Amino acid sequence: MKTPKQKKYGLVVVLGLMIILTGWNAYSEKGGVAQTIKNAKSPFDNGSVASVPPAPVDTVLAQVRYQGGSFRVETRKDKMTRFQCSQCHNKQPVAVANAVETAHGDITLIHGDKDKELACFTCHAKDNRDVLVTEKGINVDMDHSYQLCGQCHFRQKKDWIGGAHGKRVSWWAGDRVVKNCASCHDPHAPRFEKRWPKTYSRPFTE
Amino acid sequence: MGFLKNKSCRQQITDEHRSCQDAGRRAFLKKAVKAAAIGSTAVVAGCQAPGLLGSKEEMALQFQEYFKAHYRLMTEKERDATIIRLERLAKLQKGVDVQISSKGALPGVLYGYGFNVTRCEGYMECVSACARENNLDRKSNTQYIRIFEMEPGQMAPNAGNGKFFNEVPVDGRFYMGAQCNHCDNAPCIKACPTKATYREPDGIVVVDYDWCIGCRYCMAACPYYGRRFNWNEPVVPANEITRKQHYLGNRQRRRGQMEKCTFCVQRTREGRLPACAEACPTGARIFGNLLDPNSEIRFVLENKKVFRWKEELGTDPKFWYFID
Repeated sequence: MKTPKQKKYGLVVVLGLMIILTGWNAYSEKGGVAQTIKNAKSPFDNGSVASVPPAPVDTVLAQVRYQGGSFRVETRKDKMTRFQCSQCHNKQPVAVANAVETAHGDITLIHGDKDKELACFTCHAKDNRDVLVTEKGINVDMDHSYQLCGQCHFRQKKDWIGGAHGKRVSWWAGDRVVKNCASCHDPHAPRFEKRWPKTYSRPFTE
Repeated sequence: MGFLKNKSCRQQITDEHRSCQDAGRRAFLKKAVKAAAIGSTAVVAGCQAPGLLGSKEEMALQFQEYFKAHYRLMTEKERDATIIRLERLAKLQKGVDVQISSKGALPGVLYGYGFNVTRCEGYMECVSACARENNLDRKSNTQYIRIFEMEPGQMAPNAGNGKFFNEVPVDGRFYMGAQCNHCDNAPCIKACPTKATYREPDGIVVVDYDWCIGCRYCMAACPYYGRRFNWNEPVVPANEITRKQHYLGNRQRRRGQMEKCTFCVQRTREGRLPACAEACPTGARIFGNLLDPNSEIRFVLENKKVFRWKEELGTDPKFWYFID
Protein backbone atom coordinates (compact mmCIF):
# COMPACT_ATOMS: atom_id res chain seq x y z
CA MET A 1 0.00 0.00 0.00
CA LYS A 2 1.46 3.34 -1.07
CA THR A 3 1.61 6.24 1.29
CA PRO A 4 0.18 9.61 0.17
CA LYS A 5 3.75 10.99 0.02
CA GLN A 6 4.82 8.27 -2.42
CA LYS A 7 1.72 8.94 -4.50
CA LYS A 8 2.58 12.62 -4.60
CA TYR A 9 6.12 11.91 -5.79
CA GLY A 10 4.78 9.52 -8.40
CA LEU A 11 2.41 12.17 -9.68
CA VAL A 12 5.22 14.74 -9.95
CA VAL A 13 7.40 12.28 -11.87
CA VAL A 14 4.58 11.41 -14.28
CA LEU A 15 3.75 15.08 -14.83
CA GLY A 16 7.42 15.93 -15.41
CA LEU A 17 7.74 13.13 -17.95
CA MET A 18 4.62 14.35 -19.75
CA ILE A 19 6.00 17.88 -20.00
CA ILE A 20 9.33 16.62 -21.32
CA LEU A 21 7.66 14.34 -23.86
CA THR A 22 5.34 17.07 -25.08
CA GLY A 23 8.27 19.43 -25.54
CA TRP A 24 10.28 16.78 -27.34
CA ASN A 25 7.33 16.02 -29.57
CA ALA A 26 6.91 19.65 -30.51
CA TYR A 27 10.55 20.29 -31.31
CA SER A 28 11.41 17.02 -33.01
CA GLU A 29 10.68 16.75 -36.71
CA LYS A 30 7.77 14.44 -36.16
CA GLY A 31 5.52 16.34 -38.51
CA GLY A 32 7.58 15.09 -41.42
CA VAL A 33 8.43 17.24 -44.41
CA ALA A 34 5.44 19.52 -43.89
CA GLN A 35 6.72 20.47 -40.43
CA THR A 36 10.29 20.88 -41.68
CA ILE A 37 9.05 23.26 -44.36
CA LYS A 38 6.96 25.23 -41.86
CA ASN A 39 9.98 25.60 -39.58
CA ALA A 40 12.22 26.84 -42.41
CA LYS A 41 11.68 30.59 -42.45
CA SER A 42 15.07 32.08 -43.26
CA PRO A 43 15.80 32.55 -46.98
CA PHE A 44 18.53 30.52 -48.61
CA ASP A 45 21.52 32.52 -49.78
CA ASN A 46 21.43 31.69 -53.47
CA GLY A 47 24.83 33.26 -53.97
CA SER A 48 26.36 30.65 -51.66
CA VAL A 49 26.43 28.01 -54.38
CA ALA A 50 29.83 28.78 -55.86
CA SER A 51 29.46 26.63 -58.98
CA VAL A 52 26.66 28.78 -60.41
CA PRO A 53 27.89 31.14 -63.13
CA PRO A 54 26.65 34.74 -63.36
CA ALA A 55 23.38 35.32 -65.21
CA PRO A 56 23.62 35.04 -69.02
CA VAL A 57 24.03 38.24 -71.00
CA ASP A 58 20.81 37.80 -72.95
CA THR A 59 18.71 38.53 -69.88
CA VAL A 60 17.23 41.69 -68.51
CA LEU A 61 16.07 42.72 -65.05
CA ALA A 62 12.31 42.22 -64.79
CA GLN A 63 10.07 45.19 -64.07
CA VAL A 64 8.22 43.19 -61.43
CA ARG A 65 9.49 41.61 -58.24
CA TYR A 66 8.89 38.12 -56.92
CA GLN A 67 8.79 36.95 -53.29
CA GLY A 68 12.60 36.82 -53.21
CA GLY A 69 13.23 40.27 -54.70
CA SER A 70 14.24 41.13 -58.24
CA PHE A 71 14.78 38.55 -60.96
CA ARG A 72 15.84 38.42 -64.60
CA VAL A 73 14.00 37.39 -67.76
CA GLU A 74 15.29 36.21 -71.11
CA THR A 75 15.44 38.94 -73.72
CA ARG A 76 13.38 38.80 -76.89
CA LYS A 77 14.56 41.64 -79.11
CA ASP A 78 17.91 40.03 -79.94
CA LYS A 79 16.18 36.79 -80.93
CA MET A 80 13.71 38.33 -83.36
CA THR A 81 15.07 37.98 -86.87
CA ARG A 82 13.84 41.29 -88.26
CA PHE A 83 14.08 43.63 -85.31
CA GLN A 84 14.11 46.70 -85.44
CA CYS A 85 10.67 46.83 -86.97
CA SER A 86 11.06 50.53 -87.78
CA GLN A 87 13.57 49.63 -90.48
CA CYS A 88 10.57 49.08 -92.73
CA HIS A 89 7.74 50.49 -90.65
CA ASN A 90 8.62 54.13 -90.93
CA LYS A 91 7.12 57.11 -92.69
CA GLN A 92 9.15 56.57 -95.85
CA PRO A 93 7.76 54.46 -98.67
CA VAL A 94 9.71 51.21 -99.09
CA ALA A 95 10.30 49.20 -102.20
CA VAL A 96 10.78 45.57 -101.25
CA ALA A 97 11.73 42.91 -103.75
CA ASN A 98 10.29 39.90 -101.97
CA ALA A 99 7.42 41.68 -100.30
CA VAL A 100 5.23 38.62 -99.79
CA GLU A 101 7.70 36.99 -97.44
CA THR A 102 8.81 40.10 -95.62
CA ALA A 103 5.32 41.50 -95.12
CA HIS A 104 4.38 38.91 -92.47
CA GLY A 105 2.33 36.77 -94.86
CA ASP A 106 3.54 33.74 -92.90
CA ILE A 107 1.82 34.75 -89.68
CA THR A 108 -1.52 33.17 -88.89
CA LEU A 109 -3.12 34.59 -85.82
CA ILE A 110 -4.65 31.88 -83.59
CA HIS A 111 -5.08 33.86 -80.42
CA GLY A 112 -8.22 34.85 -78.58
CA ASP A 113 -11.75 33.53 -78.63
CA LYS A 114 -13.56 32.61 -81.85
CA ASP A 115 -16.12 35.38 -81.43
CA LYS A 116 -13.64 38.03 -80.36
CA GLU A 117 -10.39 37.38 -82.14
CA LEU A 118 -7.33 39.52 -81.62
CA ALA A 119 -5.91 41.72 -84.34
CA CYS A 120 -2.35 42.97 -84.97
CA PHE A 121 -3.00 46.26 -83.22
CA THR A 122 -4.44 44.65 -80.13
CA CYS A 123 -0.83 44.23 -79.03
CA HIS A 124 1.37 46.11 -81.51
CA ALA A 125 1.52 49.90 -81.33
CA LYS A 126 0.22 51.60 -84.47
CA ASP A 127 2.54 54.58 -84.36
CA ASN A 128 5.72 52.86 -83.17
CA ARG A 129 6.18 49.29 -84.38
CA ASP A 130 9.23 48.67 -82.18
CA VAL A 131 7.06 48.44 -79.08
CA LEU A 132 3.87 46.83 -77.89
CA VAL A 133 0.95 48.70 -76.40
CA THR A 134 -1.45 47.83 -73.61
CA GLU A 135 -5.19 48.42 -73.62
CA LYS A 136 -4.56 51.54 -71.57
CA GLY A 137 -2.20 52.87 -74.22
CA ILE A 138 1.03 52.33 -72.32
CA ASN A 139 3.99 51.32 -74.48
CA VAL A 140 5.66 48.05 -73.49
CA ASP A 141 9.15 47.01 -74.52
CA MET A 142 9.38 43.69 -76.40
CA ASP A 143 11.68 42.34 -73.67
CA HIS A 144 8.97 42.95 -71.09
CA SER A 145 6.08 41.44 -73.01
CA TYR A 146 4.82 39.77 -69.81
CA GLN A 147 3.37 43.18 -68.90
CA LEU A 148 1.25 42.98 -72.05
CA CYS A 149 0.28 39.30 -71.81
CA GLY A 150 -0.59 39.76 -68.15
CA GLN A 151 -3.48 42.06 -69.05
CA CYS A 152 -5.65 39.06 -69.95
CA HIS A 153 -3.57 36.23 -68.52
CA PHE A 154 -3.25 37.85 -65.10
CA ARG A 155 -3.53 34.52 -63.30
CA GLN A 156 -0.67 33.08 -65.36
CA LYS A 157 1.32 36.24 -64.78
CA LYS A 158 0.90 35.91 -61.03
CA ASP A 159 1.99 32.28 -61.18
CA TRP A 160 4.88 33.15 -63.48
CA ILE A 161 6.17 35.79 -61.09
CA GLY A 162 5.96 33.37 -58.16
CA GLY A 163 7.35 30.41 -60.06
CA ALA A 164 4.41 28.07 -60.65
CA HIS A 165 4.09 28.92 -64.37
CA GLY A 166 6.93 29.01 -66.83
CA LYS A 167 10.38 27.83 -65.95
CA ARG A 168 13.78 28.84 -64.71
CA VAL A 169 16.69 28.68 -67.09
CA SER A 170 19.07 25.82 -66.24
CA TRP A 171 19.89 26.73 -62.61
CA TRP A 172 17.80 26.42 -59.47
CA ALA A 173 20.43 28.34 -57.45
CA GLY A 174 22.06 31.67 -58.13
CA ASP A 175 20.28 34.69 -59.59
CA ARG A 176 16.78 33.79 -60.64
CA VAL A 177 16.57 33.78 -64.43
CA VAL A 178 13.26 32.78 -66.01
CA LYS A 179 11.97 32.33 -69.51
CA ASN A 180 9.92 35.12 -71.00
CA CYS A 181 6.36 34.46 -72.19
CA ALA A 182 7.41 34.47 -75.82
CA SER A 183 10.44 32.23 -75.16
CA CYS A 184 8.03 29.28 -75.03
CA HIS A 185 4.77 30.55 -76.55
CA ASP A 186 4.47 31.88 -80.08
CA PRO A 187 2.52 35.06 -79.32
CA HIS A 188 0.56 34.70 -82.58
CA ALA A 189 -0.44 31.09 -81.79
CA PRO A 190 0.28 30.56 -78.12
CA ARG A 191 -1.15 27.08 -77.69
CA PHE A 192 1.45 24.31 -77.97
CA GLU A 193 1.10 22.26 -81.12
CA LYS A 194 0.14 18.63 -81.24
CA ARG A 195 3.07 16.41 -82.03
CA TRP A 196 4.49 12.95 -81.52
CA PRO A 197 6.16 12.24 -78.18
CA LYS A 198 9.97 12.19 -78.13
CA THR A 199 10.03 8.56 -77.00
CA TYR A 200 7.70 5.90 -75.65
CA SER A 201 7.28 4.23 -72.28
CA ARG A 202 7.99 0.68 -71.43
CA PRO A 203 5.08 -1.35 -70.11
CA PHE A 204 4.24 -0.47 -66.52
CA THR A 205 4.94 -3.86 -64.98
CA GLU A 206 8.11 -5.72 -65.75
CA MET B 1 57.39 -12.25 -55.45
CA GLY B 2 59.80 -13.81 -57.83
CA PHE B 3 57.21 -13.70 -60.59
CA LEU B 4 57.46 -9.98 -60.83
CA LYS B 5 59.60 -8.95 -63.67
CA ASN B 6 57.91 -5.69 -64.47
CA LYS B 7 59.30 -2.73 -62.60
CA SER B 8 55.94 -0.96 -62.21
CA CYS B 9 54.41 -3.94 -60.44
CA ARG B 10 57.19 -4.05 -57.91
CA GLN B 11 56.87 -0.33 -57.41
CA GLN B 12 53.15 -0.72 -56.66
CA ILE B 13 53.74 -3.30 -53.97
CA THR B 14 56.47 -1.33 -52.23
CA ASP B 15 54.09 1.64 -52.27
CA GLU B 16 51.46 -0.45 -50.55
CA HIS B 17 53.91 -1.49 -47.85
CA ARG B 18 55.11 2.02 -47.28
CA SER B 19 51.61 3.34 -46.73
CA CYS B 20 50.94 0.55 -44.23
CA GLN B 21 53.36 1.95 -41.75
CA ASP B 22 51.11 4.59 -40.23
CA ALA B 23 47.82 2.70 -40.43
CA GLY B 24 45.93 0.71 -37.83
CA ARG B 25 45.51 -3.03 -37.72
CA ARG B 26 42.29 -3.04 -39.72
CA ALA B 27 43.73 -0.85 -42.41
CA PHE B 28 46.88 -2.99 -42.40
CA LEU B 29 44.84 -6.11 -43.04
CA LYS B 30 43.02 -4.36 -45.86
CA LYS B 31 46.27 -3.30 -47.43
CA ALA B 32 47.62 -6.82 -47.00
CA VAL B 33 44.64 -8.19 -48.86
CA LYS B 34 45.19 -5.66 -51.62
CA ALA B 35 48.85 -6.51 -51.84
CA ALA B 36 47.96 -10.19 -52.02
CA ALA B 37 45.47 -9.39 -54.73
CA ILE B 38 48.06 -7.58 -56.77
CA GLY B 39 50.42 -10.47 -56.18
CA SER B 40 47.87 -13.03 -57.25
CA THR B 41 46.88 -11.12 -60.33
CA ALA B 42 50.54 -10.86 -61.12
CA VAL B 43 50.65 -14.64 -60.91
CA VAL B 44 47.71 -14.97 -63.28
CA ALA B 45 48.61 -12.32 -65.74
CA GLY B 46 52.33 -12.42 -65.26
CA CYS B 47 52.48 -8.66 -65.67
CA GLN B 48 51.84 -9.02 -69.36
CA ALA B 49 49.66 -7.56 -72.06
CA PRO B 50 45.83 -7.69 -71.73
CA GLY B 51 44.52 -11.23 -71.64
CA LEU B 52 41.01 -12.65 -71.61
CA LEU B 53 40.06 -10.92 -68.39
CA GLY B 54 41.37 -7.51 -69.33
CA SER B 55 44.72 -6.00 -68.50
CA LYS B 56 46.56 -6.66 -65.29
CA GLU B 57 45.92 -3.11 -64.15
CA GLU B 58 42.20 -3.48 -64.77
CA MET B 59 42.05 -6.67 -62.73
CA ALA B 60 43.98 -5.12 -59.88
CA LEU B 61 41.69 -2.10 -59.84
CA GLN B 62 38.59 -4.26 -59.88
CA PHE B 63 39.95 -6.34 -57.05
CA GLN B 64 40.65 -3.26 -54.96
CA GLU B 65 37.16 -1.96 -55.75
CA TYR B 66 35.81 -5.19 -54.33
CA PHE B 67 37.21 -4.42 -50.87
CA LYS B 68 36.13 -0.83 -50.46
CA ALA B 69 33.82 0.37 -47.69
CA HIS B 70 30.27 1.68 -47.88
CA TYR B 71 30.27 5.21 -49.26
CA ARG B 72 28.99 6.67 -46.00
CA LEU B 73 31.78 5.02 -44.00
CA MET B 74 34.59 6.06 -46.30
CA THR B 75 37.00 8.81 -45.30
CA GLU B 76 37.69 11.63 -47.75
CA LYS B 77 40.94 9.91 -48.69
CA GLU B 78 39.21 6.60 -49.42
CA ARG B 79 36.56 8.38 -51.49
CA ASP B 80 39.21 10.07 -53.58
CA ALA B 81 41.00 6.75 -54.03
CA THR B 82 37.89 4.92 -55.24
CA ILE B 83 37.04 7.77 -57.59
CA ILE B 84 40.50 7.62 -59.13
CA ARG B 85 40.07 3.87 -59.56
CA LEU B 86 36.61 4.24 -61.11
CA GLU B 87 37.75 6.94 -63.50
CA ARG B 88 40.70 4.81 -64.55
CA LEU B 89 38.44 1.78 -65.00
CA ALA B 90 36.07 3.80 -67.19
CA LYS B 91 39.06 4.80 -69.30
CA LEU B 92 40.30 1.22 -69.56
CA GLN B 93 36.94 -0.38 -70.22
CA LYS B 94 35.05 2.20 -72.25
CA GLY B 95 37.81 4.50 -73.40
CA VAL B 96 36.09 7.61 -72.04
CA ASP B 97 37.42 10.25 -69.68
CA VAL B 98 34.81 10.71 -66.99
CA GLN B 99 34.89 13.04 -64.01
CA ILE B 100 33.28 11.49 -60.98
CA SER B 101 32.32 13.88 -58.21
CA SER B 102 31.88 13.09 -54.54
CA LYS B 103 30.40 16.46 -53.70
CA GLY B 104 28.36 16.38 -50.52
CA ALA B 105 25.00 17.93 -49.76
CA LEU B 106 24.80 21.72 -49.76
CA PRO B 107 24.01 23.12 -46.31
CA GLY B 108 20.49 24.45 -45.79
CA VAL B 109 19.06 22.64 -48.78
CA LEU B 110 16.23 20.14 -48.98
CA TYR B 111 15.20 19.33 -52.51
CA GLY B 112 11.57 19.22 -53.52
CA TYR B 113 9.75 18.70 -56.78
CA GLY B 114 6.48 19.94 -58.18
CA PHE B 115 4.69 18.40 -61.14
CA ASN B 116 2.02 20.49 -62.86
CA VAL B 117 -0.65 18.05 -64.01
CA THR B 118 -2.44 20.76 -66.00
CA ARG B 119 0.63 21.80 -67.97
CA CYS B 120 2.14 18.42 -68.85
CA GLU B 121 1.30 17.59 -72.47
CA GLY B 122 2.94 14.18 -72.70
CA TYR B 123 5.77 15.14 -75.05
CA MET B 124 8.14 12.82 -73.11
CA GLU B 125 11.12 15.13 -73.51
CA CYS B 126 11.91 14.58 -69.84
CA VAL B 127 12.11 10.80 -70.23
CA SER B 128 14.55 11.10 -73.07
CA ALA B 129 16.71 13.75 -71.36
CA CYS B 130 16.82 11.67 -68.19
CA ALA B 131 18.00 8.54 -70.00
CA ARG B 132 20.71 10.53 -71.70
CA GLU B 133 21.88 12.38 -68.60
CA ASN B 134 21.91 9.38 -66.29
CA ASN B 135 23.58 6.93 -68.70
CA LEU B 136 20.61 4.58 -68.60
CA ASP B 137 20.81 1.24 -70.33
CA ARG B 138 19.90 1.60 -73.99
CA LYS B 139 19.55 -2.14 -74.56
CA SER B 140 16.60 -2.67 -72.22
CA ASN B 141 15.46 0.96 -72.71
CA THR B 142 15.51 1.71 -68.98
CA GLN B 143 13.65 4.86 -67.96
CA TYR B 144 13.32 6.48 -64.55
CA ILE B 145 10.32 8.58 -65.53
CA ARG B 146 7.01 7.36 -66.80
CA ILE B 147 4.28 9.52 -68.24
CA PHE B 148 0.68 8.37 -68.12
CA GLU B 149 -2.22 9.44 -70.28
CA MET B 150 -5.13 9.98 -67.96
CA GLU B 151 -8.88 10.18 -68.39
CA PRO B 152 -10.66 13.00 -66.55
CA GLY B 153 -11.36 12.04 -62.95
CA GLN B 154 -8.44 9.70 -62.51
CA MET B 155 -6.14 10.74 -59.71
CA ALA B 156 -3.29 8.21 -59.54
CA PRO B 157 -0.86 7.43 -62.35
CA ASN B 158 -1.40 3.68 -62.05
CA ALA B 159 -4.97 4.19 -63.28
CA GLY B 160 -3.77 5.82 -66.48
CA ASN B 161 -2.36 4.52 -69.72
CA GLY B 162 1.42 4.27 -69.59
CA LYS B 163 1.82 2.78 -73.03
CA PHE B 164 0.41 5.61 -75.12
CA PHE B 165 2.14 6.50 -78.35
CA ASN B 166 0.01 8.90 -80.30
CA GLU B 167 0.03 12.56 -81.17
CA VAL B 168 -0.15 14.49 -77.94
CA PRO B 169 -1.90 16.20 -76.28
CA VAL B 170 -5.16 14.36 -76.92
CA ASP B 171 -8.21 16.55 -76.27
CA GLY B 172 -9.93 15.75 -73.00
CA ARG B 173 -7.02 13.82 -71.54
CA PHE B 174 -4.31 14.95 -69.19
CA TYR B 175 -0.82 13.67 -68.47
CA MET B 176 0.84 12.69 -65.26
CA GLY B 177 4.42 11.70 -64.58
CA ALA B 178 5.71 9.17 -62.08
CA GLN B 179 9.23 8.78 -60.81
CA CYS B 180 11.04 8.39 -57.50
CA ASN B 181 9.26 10.53 -54.91
CA HIS B 182 12.31 10.83 -52.65
CA CYS B 183 10.24 10.01 -49.59
CA ASP B 184 11.37 11.35 -46.26
CA ASN B 185 10.16 8.12 -44.71
CA ALA B 186 11.15 5.86 -47.55
CA PRO B 187 10.04 2.21 -47.51
CA CYS B 188 12.88 1.24 -49.83
CA ILE B 189 15.46 2.32 -47.26
CA LYS B 190 13.80 0.17 -44.62
CA ALA B 191 13.66 -2.81 -46.94
CA CYS B 192 17.32 -2.75 -47.95
CA PRO B 193 19.20 -5.54 -46.14
CA THR B 194 22.67 -4.10 -46.83
CA LYS B 195 21.88 -0.43 -46.16
CA ALA B 196 23.06 0.28 -49.67
CA THR B 197 20.24 2.76 -50.15
CA TYR B 198 19.91 5.69 -47.80
CA ARG B 199 18.75 9.28 -47.51
CA GLU B 200 21.31 12.01 -48.03
CA PRO B 201 21.14 15.15 -45.82
CA ASP B 202 19.56 17.12 -48.69
CA GLY B 203 16.70 14.64 -48.85
CA ILE B 204 17.79 12.69 -51.92
CA VAL B 205 17.40 8.92 -51.64
CA VAL B 206 20.50 7.39 -53.21
CA VAL B 207 22.01 3.97 -53.79
CA ASP B 208 25.62 2.99 -53.20
CA TYR B 209 25.65 0.78 -56.26
CA ASP B 210 28.63 -1.24 -55.09
CA TRP B 211 26.89 -2.25 -51.88
CA CYS B 212 23.73 -3.32 -53.67
CA ILE B 213 23.38 -7.08 -53.78
CA GLY B 214 20.51 -6.98 -56.26
CA CYS B 215 17.88 -8.57 -54.02
CA ARG B 216 15.23 -6.14 -55.33
CA TYR B 217 13.49 -5.86 -51.95
CA CYS B 218 13.45 -2.09 -52.44
CA MET B 219 11.73 -2.51 -55.77
CA ALA B 220 9.00 -4.53 -54.09
CA ALA B 221 8.76 -2.07 -51.21
CA CYS B 222 8.47 1.08 -53.33
CA PRO B 223 4.81 2.08 -53.77
CA TYR B 224 5.71 4.47 -56.60
CA TYR B 225 7.45 2.03 -58.95
CA GLY B 226 10.47 4.29 -58.68
CA ARG B 227 13.26 1.73 -58.85
CA ARG B 228 14.88 -0.01 -61.77
CA PHE B 229 16.95 -3.17 -61.91
CA ASN B 230 19.81 -3.90 -64.26
CA TRP B 231 18.89 -7.25 -65.72
CA ASN B 232 21.78 -7.05 -68.15
CA GLU B 233 25.09 -5.26 -68.28
CA PRO B 234 24.03 -1.69 -69.16
CA VAL B 235 24.89 -0.68 -72.71
CA VAL B 236 25.62 2.98 -73.41
CA PRO B 237 27.42 4.01 -76.60
CA ALA B 238 30.75 5.60 -75.66
CA ASN B 239 29.97 8.86 -77.44
CA GLU B 240 26.68 9.22 -75.56
CA ILE B 241 28.09 8.75 -72.05
CA THR B 242 27.57 11.80 -69.84
CA ARG B 243 31.09 12.55 -68.65
CA LYS B 244 30.20 14.64 -65.64
CA GLN B 245 29.24 12.02 -63.10
CA HIS B 246 28.63 11.60 -59.40
CA TYR B 247 29.50 8.61 -57.24
CA LEU B 248 25.90 8.38 -56.06
CA GLY B 249 24.41 9.47 -59.36
CA ASN B 250 24.93 8.63 -62.99
CA ARG B 251 28.22 6.73 -62.83
CA GLN B 252 28.38 3.39 -64.60
CA ARG B 253 26.20 0.71 -63.00
CA ARG B 254 26.69 -3.00 -63.47
CA ARG B 255 24.45 -5.96 -64.05
CA GLY B 256 22.53 -6.97 -60.94
CA GLN B 257 22.43 -3.54 -59.32
CA MET B 258 19.43 -1.40 -58.52
CA GLU B 259 19.31 2.16 -59.71
CA LYS B 260 16.90 5.03 -59.41
CA CYS B 261 16.26 8.71 -59.95
CA THR B 262 18.64 10.80 -57.83
CA PHE B 263 17.20 14.22 -58.75
CA CYS B 264 20.33 14.26 -60.96
CA VAL B 265 22.61 14.62 -57.92
CA GLN B 266 25.54 15.42 -60.20
CA ARG B 267 23.67 18.48 -61.47
CA THR B 268 21.61 19.66 -58.52
CA ARG B 269 24.51 19.84 -56.10
CA GLU B 270 26.19 22.18 -58.56
CA GLY B 271 23.08 24.35 -58.55
CA ARG B 272 21.69 23.11 -61.86
CA LEU B 273 18.16 21.90 -62.46
CA PRO B 274 17.65 18.16 -62.95
CA ALA B 275 17.73 17.09 -66.60
CA CYS B 276 13.96 16.45 -66.68
CA ALA B 277 13.10 19.90 -65.36
CA GLU B 278 15.49 21.54 -67.81
CA ALA B 279 14.18 19.54 -70.77
CA CYS B 280 10.47 20.06 -70.07
CA PRO B 281 9.10 22.19 -72.92
CA THR B 282 5.95 23.21 -71.05
CA GLY B 283 7.35 24.20 -67.66
CA ALA B 284 5.36 21.52 -65.88
CA ARG B 285 8.29 20.56 -63.69
CA ILE B 286 9.23 22.77 -60.77
CA PHE B 287 12.36 22.04 -58.76
CA GLY B 288 13.87 23.87 -55.84
CA ASN B 289 14.91 24.18 -52.25
CA LEU B 290 12.12 23.44 -49.80
CA LEU B 291 13.93 25.25 -46.98
CA ASP B 292 14.02 28.52 -48.91
CA PRO B 293 10.74 30.44 -48.40
CA ASN B 294 11.44 32.37 -51.62
CA SER B 295 11.89 29.35 -53.88
CA GLU B 296 9.52 28.37 -56.67
CA ILE B 297 8.62 25.08 -55.06
CA ARG B 298 7.59 26.86 -51.86
CA PHE B 299 5.43 29.24 -53.90
CA VAL B 300 3.74 26.24 -55.46
CA LEU B 301 3.14 24.59 -52.09
CA GLU B 302 1.71 27.76 -50.62
CA ASN B 303 -0.36 29.03 -53.56
CA LYS B 304 -1.48 26.07 -55.65
CA LYS B 305 -3.69 23.07 -55.08
CA VAL B 306 -1.15 20.37 -54.35
CA PHE B 307 -1.43 16.70 -53.52
CA ARG B 308 0.92 13.82 -53.08
CA TRP B 309 0.48 10.36 -54.52
CA LYS B 310 -0.43 7.69 -51.93
CA GLU B 311 0.05 10.14 -49.10
CA GLU B 312 -1.95 7.85 -46.82
CA LEU B 313 0.94 5.37 -46.74
CA GLY B 314 2.94 7.74 -44.56
CA THR B 315 5.93 7.70 -46.88
CA ASP B 316 6.11 11.51 -46.78
CA PRO B 317 7.17 12.11 -50.40
CA LYS B 318 8.93 15.27 -51.51
CA PHE B 319 7.20 15.13 -54.89
CA TRP B 320 4.01 17.13 -55.21
CA TYR B 321 1.48 17.13 -58.01
CA PHE B 322 -0.42 20.34 -58.53
CA ILE B 323 -3.08 21.78 -60.79
CA ASP B 324 -3.41 25.28 -62.15
